[in-house]
Amino acid sequence: MRKLYGTALAVVMASAALMTAGCGQGLLGGDDAGSAEKKDEPIVLGMLIPQSGSEAAIGPYMSNAAQLAVDEINAKGGVLGRKLELKTADDACDPQTAAAGANKLVTAGVHVSIGGYCSGATLPTLPIFGKAGIPMIIPAANSQELVDQKLKNVFLINGTGSQQAGAAAAWMTKDGATKVALMHDNTSYSKDIALRTQTLVDEPGGPETAILEAVTPKESDYSANITKVLAKKPDYVYWTGYFQEGGLIARQLRQAGYQGKIMVGDGSVSPKLIEIAGAEAATGVYATMTQTPDTLQGAESWIADYTKKFGSEPGPYSNQAYDAVRLAAEAVTKAGGTDGQKVIAALEAIDGFSMFSGPLKFTPEHTLSTGGFQILVVKDGKFALQDALQ
Amino acid sequence: MSQLVWNGLFVGSFYALVALGYSMVYGIIKLLNFAHGDLYMLGAFIGFAVLGAAGGVSAGMALPLLLFVLVLTMGVTGLAGVLLERVAYRRLRGAPRLSLLITAVGASFALEYGMRAASGADPRVYPVRLGGTSLEVFGARVTLQQLALVAVAVLLMIGLNLLVTRSREGRAMRAVALDPKAAALMGIDVDAVISRTFFLGSALAGAAGVMAGAHYGKIDFMMGFLIGLKAFTAAVIGGIGNIPGTMLGGLLLGLLESFGTFWLGGEWRDVFAFGVLILFLTVRPTGLLGERVTERV
Repeated sequence: MRKLYGTALAVVMASAALMTAGCGQGLLGGDDAGSAEKKDEPIVLGMLIPQSGSEAAIGPYMSNAAQLAVDEINAKGGVLGRKLELKTADDACDPQTAAAGANKLVTAGVHVSIGGYCSGATLPTLPIFGKAGIPMIIPAANSQELVDQKLKNVFLINGTGSQQAGAAAAWMTKDGATKVALMHDNTSYSKDIALRTQTLVDEPGGPETAILEAVTPKESDYSANITKVLAKKPDYVYWTGYFQEGGLIARQLRQAGYQGKIMVGDGSVSPKLIEIAGAEAATGVYATMTQTPDTLQGAESWIADYTKKFGSEPGPYSNQAYDAVRLAAEAVTKAGGTDGQKVIAALEAIDGFSMFSGPLKFTPEHTLSTGGFQILVVKDGKFALQDALQ
Repeated sequence: MSQLVWNGLFVGSFYALVALGYSMVYGIIKLLNFAHGDLYMLGAFIGFAVLGAAGGVSAGMALPLLLFVLVLTMGVTGLAGVLLERVAYRRLRGAPRLSLLITAVGASFALEYGMRAASGADPRVYPVRLGGTSLEVFGARVTLQQLALVAVAVLLMIGLNLLVTRSREGRAMRAVALDPKAAALMGIDVDAVISRTFFLGSALAGAAGVMAGAHYGKIDFMMGFLIGLKAFTAAVIGGIGNIPGTMLGGLLLGLLESFGTFWLGGEWRDVFAFGVLILFLTVRPTGLLGERVTERV
């Protein structure tokens, strides 16, 4: 037994040592970034995105779009006479890899962070960038936990969980739902949306929540959960988890004879959902989703530029990543330099900056004050805009 | 109620098929083959590759084609199991039990992440799906295809039981399980018997993989992990090493999960199912049909 404790202690001490090393690096990087402005050196934007792992497909959509914005701004003479430079690092959608990547970016002397896709992987990077005094504009990650930290340097330009729940409740009320079944996968992200939706749905005047059901992710058979949900006879089922389970649940709901409507959250908006559910079960499924290139209005020339440059079309979060770079450039210009505190103040003061999601003004919580979510529907084998909710 | 029973039996028959391989391998060389769930995954991917190679098929041909793919996949997955034993386990047979266990965990990871490297992390979707019309049986919604899958599973299990209890090979397997040294002295080729056991167990896991792929549609490189654990549980409930007991254990676990979900909700399902397991094992440590293990000197 004593030996076991000895080993455990050694592990704890080793990790503590590692953490101190990490922080030390962070502080060092901070001093570096905060030191005297060098007029001819580029302004470095750091971007943590998944380049490997389960979400690897998303990485290029975001880094390409960011590069497009960087090139456009540099072609117009850069920011304050300095060039922009994009540095990416892999977070593999994994907290440990993300923390290592964030330390790497801090050491490389980035001035503004414009990355963050997986909420779980972005969370541990907040204190790392925070200690170094680096402002973060998070383009995609949108868990309420990121907001709840109330960190001064963190800004979210994607809609958050509470905004998604608001959109879901508004749409279900508008669509005449009476009994709503909420299904989530027990991860903090998914459960948060489900619980917030429940609160909104149960307000008097609208529909009511018939059941709140959790499923175990990564399984194949959800018939037991579905039998339980259908016993409450809902006319709307809202799934707030990811597309793998979402596809199976939509299919198995229909196989079990469910005739009502199905809606899924933004984690489920993927062509794979339609493939897994099969065209028949997927058709007519609604989704709460942030703006994607597919559903943007008046973005044809932007999509054409992107496609010309990279030989493939933009995908999910390309537009948010592009806007993150533009926003960072705007804030640095307003701040007159890359000093973290001044950039943060400039971001807080922004009012009406034009982005894909509409004119930008941050709330006191550093989230979007307007825009964010819209309703999609599966039609002809793909997600199409149903209602912009504006 | 009958819907819950049917859901449980359907899922349970998958658990049972996978659990058999666990149980047989444990019965014969006392190895917990943690890579067994990944053979199920391998089977699903082999079936996927074969179906892809077969190209588009008309709906009427789907069932015969799937049966053909099932048999082919069982063969290939069985051989993969034999290879696994030959490469990873045979040389360690005399080594401490712990080394063998860790090798099995290593084999499991190697298969999972090897498959990820080979086919990517994105889930794949079977080109041929069993959807189908449903009918009401005693108030439960059942599809014909589900019935067909359960029938295939039952046939495979009956076949296995006959093979083990009635044939010469089966007798040799039972002899090795009882006492490998004595069996060797009686002129039984122990290595060959162990290979055969791995072949059978892996073939059944491969069959379950193809059936899951065809029924649920989605396959991915981690799909074997959870079902491997569940199958292991099922084998222990039923009495690991005992074939009819293992089948019973699979069905029982399926039913426990189904009723646990309904009574307590999805987040409590595993708490309920595994709580029952703990209770059950404290009362009956050898499982439902497990024999009392006498200490060998």
